[in-house]
Amino acid sequence: MNDRNFHAIHITKDKCVGCVHCMSACPTRAIRVEGGKARIIDQLCIDCAECLRVCPHEAVHSHTTSFAALEAFDYKVAIPSTVIYGQFGPTVVPNEILSALRRVGFDEVYDLSSICELNCAATEKYLDEHPRPRPYITSTCPVVVRIIQRRYPSLCGQILPIEPPREIAAKILRTILPKALGIPAERIGIIHITPCPAKIVSINSPATLAKSYLDGAMSIRDIFPQILKALRKSEEDSLMRHLFPETLFSGLGMGWPLSGGETRGLKTHRAVAVSGIRDTMRVLDEVEGGLLQDIDLLECTVCPDGCVGGPLGVENRFLAKSRVLELVAAAGEHAVVDQKDVSRLYHKNFLSFDHPVAPAESHPLDNDPAKAIRKAQRREKIFAALPLRDCGVCGAPDCRTLADDIVRGYARLEDCPFVPKGRTKKSRKEKR
Amino acid sequence: MPAVESVFRRAFAVRGGDFARAGAAACEIKELLKDLGIDTATVRRAAIVAYEAEMNVIMYAWDARMDLAVSPAEVRLTVDDHGPGIPDVELAMTEGYSTATAEMRELGFGAGMGLPNIKRNADDFAIDSEVGRGTRLDIVIRKNGHVRP
Repeated sequence: MNDRNFHAIHITKDKCVGCVHCMSACPTRAIRVEGGKARIIDQLCIDCAECLRVCPHEAVHSHTTSFAALEAFDYKVAIPSTVIYGQFGPTVVPNEILSALRRVGFDEVYDLSSICELNCAATEKYLDEHPRPRPYITSTCPVVVRIIQRRYPSLCGQILPIEPPREIAAKILRTILPKALGIPAERIGIIHITPCPAKIVSINSPATLAKSYLDGAMSIRDIFPQILKALRKSEEDSLMRHLFPETLFSGLGMGWPLSGGETRGLKTHRAVAVSGIRDTMRVLDEVEGGLLQDIDLLECTVCPDGCVGGPLGVENRFLAKSRVLELVAAAGEHAVVDQKDVSRLYHKNFLSFDHPVAPAESHPLDNDPAKAIRKAQRREKIFAALPLRDCGVCGAPDCRTLADDIVRGYARLEDCPFVPKGRTKKSRKEKR
Repeated sequence: MPAVESVFRRAFAVRGGDFARAGAAACEIKELLKDLGIDTATVRRAAIVAYEAEMNVIMYAWDARMDLAVSPAEVRLTVDDHGPGIPDVELAMTEGYSTATAEMRELGFGAGMGLPNIKRNADDFAIDSEVGRGTRLDIVIRKNGHVRP
């Protein structure tokens, strides 16, 4: 575990036809097509799953926890992302969904909405006590943490050091359940159910914890058929839904998976919410350039519209969003979390990171600065000789990246089909 | 004379009023510095300086040339614009002073932090302005330099 190069996103070679959809969609230019197959460069991949969304051949898959893996545990606990409540029609209420999860093989299922509210209260407290730096950036989206480590290393210190709700919930359960049940901690499996492929990365290779409190992340898409079956069975005893043990849902927490949901509960701080990978990168560029210092908290989620737009959901995100908004309204505005609990956990540092987020290793053109300068000069010359069509035939997403790959020794000028064969160094001048 | 000098140079053209490309040159400069192995703190200072300088051109000038020169020890940025110039440079260097229009302020610009912020993040800073002609900034950011308080 804690392998720095652990990734959730993988390419199934048998299904890959070597088209360039994934390569052009990748925001960090981490994909190359070599020998007719796409390949992901581990150091550059941030597990955003843009490739998974665009692949027309289902050749990009994500490693999530399988149902079979649950057998390793004596006691299985599910903490589903609140996105799950938006995946079913308007007649299916959250309690039924939690109950259906119990029927499909989990011994216990816990709602995350109140923990989301708790996280928000802790965030408010943290911002009160720390007037600088600004803006802080939330860590809920694991891809945002990874992109900051790799592309915006100077912003690592601006990541809000409060654990996201899924980890806080797992930590609470990890503390309480072994004693309450008399089962050794390692025999209890705590599984997050999510529309997000990157959560498994934050579990297997956490950036802020020595070890994640979660044991796995299961995709909503994988478990959806079983939930649906369980819901159908329960139609017979549909009256039961009035008798389910009542969970106290937080309206604030219910809205958490929508862009802006994390910051909606802030009372005295200015927040901005951004969603989508490209807009997130644009705004992080601005923050690195010194902008947005009048904003207290920046929420970035790389999926469109927030976690509700995660690629491993089932319902289209617009319907899911509409359903979540109904549930938010139904749950109302009243607080379900006791401020005393927030204060107690906050001051025990129960909600904070184990350690700050560290920048990932950088990859300059050369470790020797003088050599790096010479390689950059050479890269400019190579780039000037390329056709600037960004066609991808060479196997790199664009001409600039090909020039970069050439000086780093990963590609050759001859890989470009538009550069006449047999051109040597001598003739590699500007050609029009 | 050595075959290749140990300075990396690149020129960027910036057009006044081109808000659509606001920050494009600064971003490219940042990526270049990372590729050249410049440390994170220096890259951050250079990014802030380049962003502020580029925005000043977009907001106030007609067009400009930004010249980047990087050696292992320092980053030099020269911004030479054709524009209205600054009548009172000393006043423009005062924090909070701004001639930004209401429209610019609505976009979140023009808090009057631009030039003072550039100076704070630079190790050397020189400004030369002529009314009706333009403004030239000469900025040096050294490795192991510091942000001024």
